[in-house]
Amino acid sequence: METAQRIECQWCRSQNLSTARTCDTCGAPLDVRNLVSDSGWREAPRLRDMTEFHFGQSTCQVEGEIVPVAEIALAQGDWVYFEHHVMLWKDESVAMSVMPLKGGVKRAFAGMPFIVSLAQGPGRIAFSRDATGELVVLPIHPGQELDVREHAFLVASHSIGYSYVRIQGLKNILFSGQGMFMDRFLAGDEQGLLFLHGYGNVFERVLQAGESVLVEPGAFLYKDASVTMTVETQKLTTGLFGGQGMNLARMTGPGRLGIQSMYVHHHTD
Amino acid sequence: MAESTYTCRWCRMSTPAADLTSCPTCGAPVDVRDMVSRSGWYELPAVPDMARLQFGSSYCQIEGAYVPVADFNLAAEDSVYFAHHVLLWREPGVNVSAMSLRGGWKRLFAGMPLVMTQAQGPGHIAFSRDAPGEVVPIPLQPGTAVDVREHLFVAATGQVGYDWFNTNVWFQTRDGDDTETHYPLGMFMDRFSAGQQPGLLLLHAAGNAFVRGLAAGESILVKPTALLFKDTSVGMQLHMEHPSGTWRSWRSWGERYLWVRLHGPGRIAIQSAYDHFHDPGSNLYRTSPATVWRW
Repeated sequence: METAQRIECQWCRSQNLSTARTCDTCGAPLDVRNLVSDSGWREAPRLRDMTEFHFGQSTCQVEGEIVPVAEIALAQGDWVYFEHHVMLWKDESVAMSVMPLKGGVKRAFAGMPFIVSLAQGPGRIAFSRDATGELVVLPIHPGQELDVREHAFLVASHSIGYSYVRIQGLKNILFSGQGMFMDRFLAGDEQGLLFLHGYGNVFERVLQAGESVLVEPGAFLYKDASVTMTVETQKLTTGLFGGQGMNLARMTGPGRLGIQSMYVHHHTD
Repeated sequence: MAESTYTCRWCRMSTPAADLTSCPTCGAPVDVRDMVSRSGWYELPAVPDMARLQFGSSYCQIEGAYVPVADFNLAAEDSVYFAHHVLLWREPGVNVSAMSLRGGWKRLFAGMPLVMTQAQGPGHIAFSRDAPGEVVPIPLQPGTAVDVREHLFVAATGQVGYDWFNTNVWFQTRDGDDTETHYPLGMFMDRFSAGQQPGLLLLHAAGNAFVRGLAAGESILVKPTALLFKDTSVGMQLHMEHPSGTWRSWRSWGERYLWVRLHGPGRIAIQSAYDHFHDPGSNLYRTSPATVWRW
């Protein structure tokens, strides 16, 4: 009996037909080797222009390379949610509503989106952000929790739960460059698909338990909930002028850590 | 049998030619043909993703394509220095300290970084800037130097000397009793030089980078904010042009274009994405040595 051969996607670990050139779950190319730096950072897969992949009964197509667009053909019964200002265009048939969020006043105060919008199929809807970068497609497996810096979230499929976590510690809030909250995405019993937009290029590294790396706070993009973040300040003095402080976020494993190469620089005195 | 060598078309360094995909000194790819415009601009070849640049006992790996990251793997005896705000990440073991700079008040006044930060190996430390573009590696041979417009510097190896100088490219406008001084190139430029040992300098060009050589006496007009670097032998001067058909009065010189005139001999490099320099267009009061042309 002939056994159907499968290829495992090196980005999301999904199984694909041996004839596939791109992963059917996340769109990552299957026929190019991983780009991993000697220091252990893996480049997020660069999605080919017009790549298609699927979730539920719906299809997503990635268009463009410099500021990629995620165009989703929503099937009847499927829906996605997204931040208010990332919608590029949509068919008239796509029904729109808003997701009720708890802690609205806190969110408004923290500069996070007060309204998260819902789009329900059937029909097409497309999303993009406003800067050069990469679309990062992260399938969230059942039981996984992922923390994402605010305003990096593009769109998520309906099976992913949305929450937010308050960053602990005043120093972390003031100097981490994340604001007061991070978005938290979690999958219940069903796998879902999360789309982020990373500015510039995106790199991922898997930290072992207790392993840590110091990261420019504005470069942090996402992490597994198991990765902890604390801000460290180093004073750089130059005699008469007093010098400057340098804030870096110490990220400690275990878990995945994603960073972006074009980041918001946060002022230090 | 003599070992064959490869001479890089960009940095002119020769290395053994075995299985090279990019120049080990500057990262320029070896397997692409030169891209030269009909006007003579040489397009700087983008450093291939994950290319390694060797210096001392250390190397730098260039990662990414849109906003590339320069990831240094520093040996214990090697160091780099960098502008304060380009640090992307580092390993906890890399020792970071401040490098004091002369002329602190002047630098503060001119908006230049007061502190250069230096990192000592062993370990990894990585840098990137905040705009799409290219990392421009400039290997400096002993006794050579380049002038770099402010805020384009990413990092340099410990062997590279750092200094800065007044550009002397400025103009003053006057509105009533208010006099304002403008510096199209910035008040100061960075100068990087190699003494007895070669060194590696990394810049970030916004957009694409183009280089050309100017012969002695040859000149070209360049948008001031597009200038990336120049050889120290290249002179520069303010140039203003006034288009025909614009209104002028005794109070105003009308519309004008601001240029920096670069005159050879030496290399110059420009970037294709540049900041807008605001010229209030008001009455010109005084200028640094300048040429003027009215159409």
